[in-house]
Amino acid sequence: MNALPLHHDLYLIAHDQSGRPLIHLSSMSLGLAGAVLLDLALGGRVAVAEGQAAATRRAPTGDAIADGLVSSLLRHRGGRQLRYLVKKTADGIHDRTREALLGSGVLVQVSGRRLGVLPYTRYEPADIASVVRASAGARSAVEGWKQPDARCAALCGLVAVLRLDAELYLDQPSARLVGRLREIARDSSPVVGEVVTVVDALVGEAAVAVYR
Amino acid sequence: MRASENIEQFGYRQELRRGVGLTDLVSYGLAFMVPIAPFAIFGLVYSRSGGMPVLAYLVGMIALLFTAASYAQMVKAFPLSGSVYNYAGRGIAPPVGFMTGWMVLLDYILVPCLLYLVASLAMHDIVPDVPVWAWLIVFVAVNTGINLRGIRMTVRLTRMMIGFELLVLGLFLLVGVWALLQGKGHGFSLSPLFNLETFSWPVMFAAVSVAVLSFIGFDGISMLVEESTGGSAQVGRAMRVALVLAGLLFVTQVWVASLLVPDPNGLLSQDSGTAFYDAAAVAGGEWLRNVTLTATALSWGVANTMVAQVAVSRLLYAMARDRQLPSFLAKVSVRHSVPANAIVLVSLVSVGIGLWMSGRSDGVDLLTSLINMGAMAAFVVLHVSVIVHYALRLGSDRLWSHLVAPLIGMGILVFVVINANVLAQMVGLVWLGAGVVALAVLYAMGRRPTLDGMPAEAVRR
Repeated sequence: MNALPLHHDLYLIAHDQSGRPLIHLSSMSLGLAGAVLLDLALGGRVAVAEGQAAATRRAPTGDAIADGLVSSLLRHRGGRQLRYLVKKTADGIHDRTREALLGSGVLVQVSGRRLGVLPYTRYEPADIASVVRASAGARSAVEGWKQPDARCAALCGLVAVLRLDAELYLDQPSARLVGRLREIARDSSPVVGEVVTVVDALVGEAAVAVYR
Repeated sequence: MRASENIEQFGYRQELRRGVGLTDLVSYGLAFMVPIAPFAIFGLVYSRSGGMPVLAYLVGMIALLFTAASYAQMVKAFPLSGSVYNYAGRGIAPPVGFMTGWMVLLDYILVPCLLYLVASLAMHDIVPDVPVWAWLIVFVAVNTGINLRGIRMTVRLTRMMIGFELLVLGLFLLVGVWALLQGKGHGFSLSPLFNLETFSWPVMFAAVSVAVLSFIGFDGISMLVEESTGGSAQVGRAMRVALVLAGLLFVTQVWVASLLVPDPNGLLSQDSGTAFYDAAAVAGGEWLRNVTLTATALSWGVANTMVAQVAVSRLLYAMARDRQLPSFLAKVSVRHSVPANAIVLVSLVSVGIGLWMSGRSDGVDLLTSLINMGAMAAFVVLHVSVIVHYALRLGSDRLWSHLVAPLIGMGILVFVVINANVLAQMVGLVWLGAGVVALAVLYAMGRRPTLDGMPAEAVRR
């Protein structure tokens, strides 16, 4: 059983075995933020509709990022625009997620020197099984082995938006695979479709930003 | 009204991190305009203006100050990152926005070609053994690599670039004025500002149609409205400050260069792409020629193309996202967070047109005129947008800001367009016609232009 929050799974899928990010950090951060929001929405803590999000109840999840987001939403009774929330949550989320994964022992810090001179620090998975588990649901959903639940559909949508389809190691042409992943997300629930669409738009806008 | 409140009026909330102050906005505008921009087109402006490049730059600055005022009004009405495409679409109607975007695309998509060409010509002057076309391919390849890797201008890099350009400009002015005091050149004269013997309005507006190139890019400041610490009001102020600063710098450098031109009569009859560098050589010798040439190559060929690439990518992305251009232009590379398709398209266009223009003796002239034609046409629509949005739709009683000033700005620009290069006018008209056809095709396909986030009732209005 996969007990990790959605953004932890996405983090593992979006890095290679040596801990190197597979996509640009600005895109990944937006995806991770979308994952946090989706986890909260699917868990009934946040209501999402028509581009807006509002907290419905304060019930700690144990994840600092998610709990911070709920607290922030509770301070704004009128709710917040989804785009705003995803952007705001994306700020610093990559490092915070990595720290959380380090804290839970899913990642381990590896330090060394390249050519015996240049120091480096990597954050590698302690056990490759955690990475396999992270993407197992999405793989099963695409192959039709198992009916995807909303959480799995959300991960499928984010994997498609972030073009991490190759990390599912499925023998399918990329375009078809991405199309299928998007379809799974779209058919799942309006909330998943809405958040994934917002992340998709923000990833595009980040790519044409004047300054990063 | 505060900027954040203003944004929320349109159903938006403040989204981008507000962290860019007035100095950074002005720096960005100057980086886009390039403080040493006249180095490359000085000969052309001198010859077109009958030896009065200072007047041409002054008239250009005044014309664009009116444009900046209209920009400020539209940014205030729609405080969203965008371009004139966005403002015309929201201020008048989406189909007008499409046509404005189409016209300004002529400007945006050709700017990198001109930047590469000018940089290549400068490098060819330094290393004549390497042909212009080879330099052009090198510049396009290097920049495409930089852009595809996602390397982007930063606030700090922008400041460093401006500092470098101002340093070279300061050096030229120092050596130039010293040379004039030593009796080199033709001594101090007011003729670069006004010469009754050669002055006529058509001549002046024809020169302005070239000189405005140096100011194109001030409008790029509007792209930072959502990051501005002072919102839309600060963006308007930054545009005015950047224009006036650039105008002062341009006027000073072309005045000094005009007084140092080695053969004024020869330059009047036949423009030279190296006129500014020749004047620099008169002032300080070959070393100053090489310094100004190198500065032009680096500023135009590397730094400015990075800024221009972002601008054209944003426009292509925005229009493609609104389904007004092919959807592949809205696709981005998530791996490097860049609009890869737009970058490759612009690079291919730059190589194709750049190589063609490098073989023409009037290549820089024609590209400059075409770019200015696209920009001027779009700026005319911007003025119309102010009048339609404020005076007609909202019934504003602020006659100067919302009716008279846009009308004056529009009038000057229309004169500039009328007196521009004839071939550029024809190509501009053909481009406009192609835009009308593209719009008709969109309608025929049932894809009438709409703007992202624009309510349906506003689209129908």
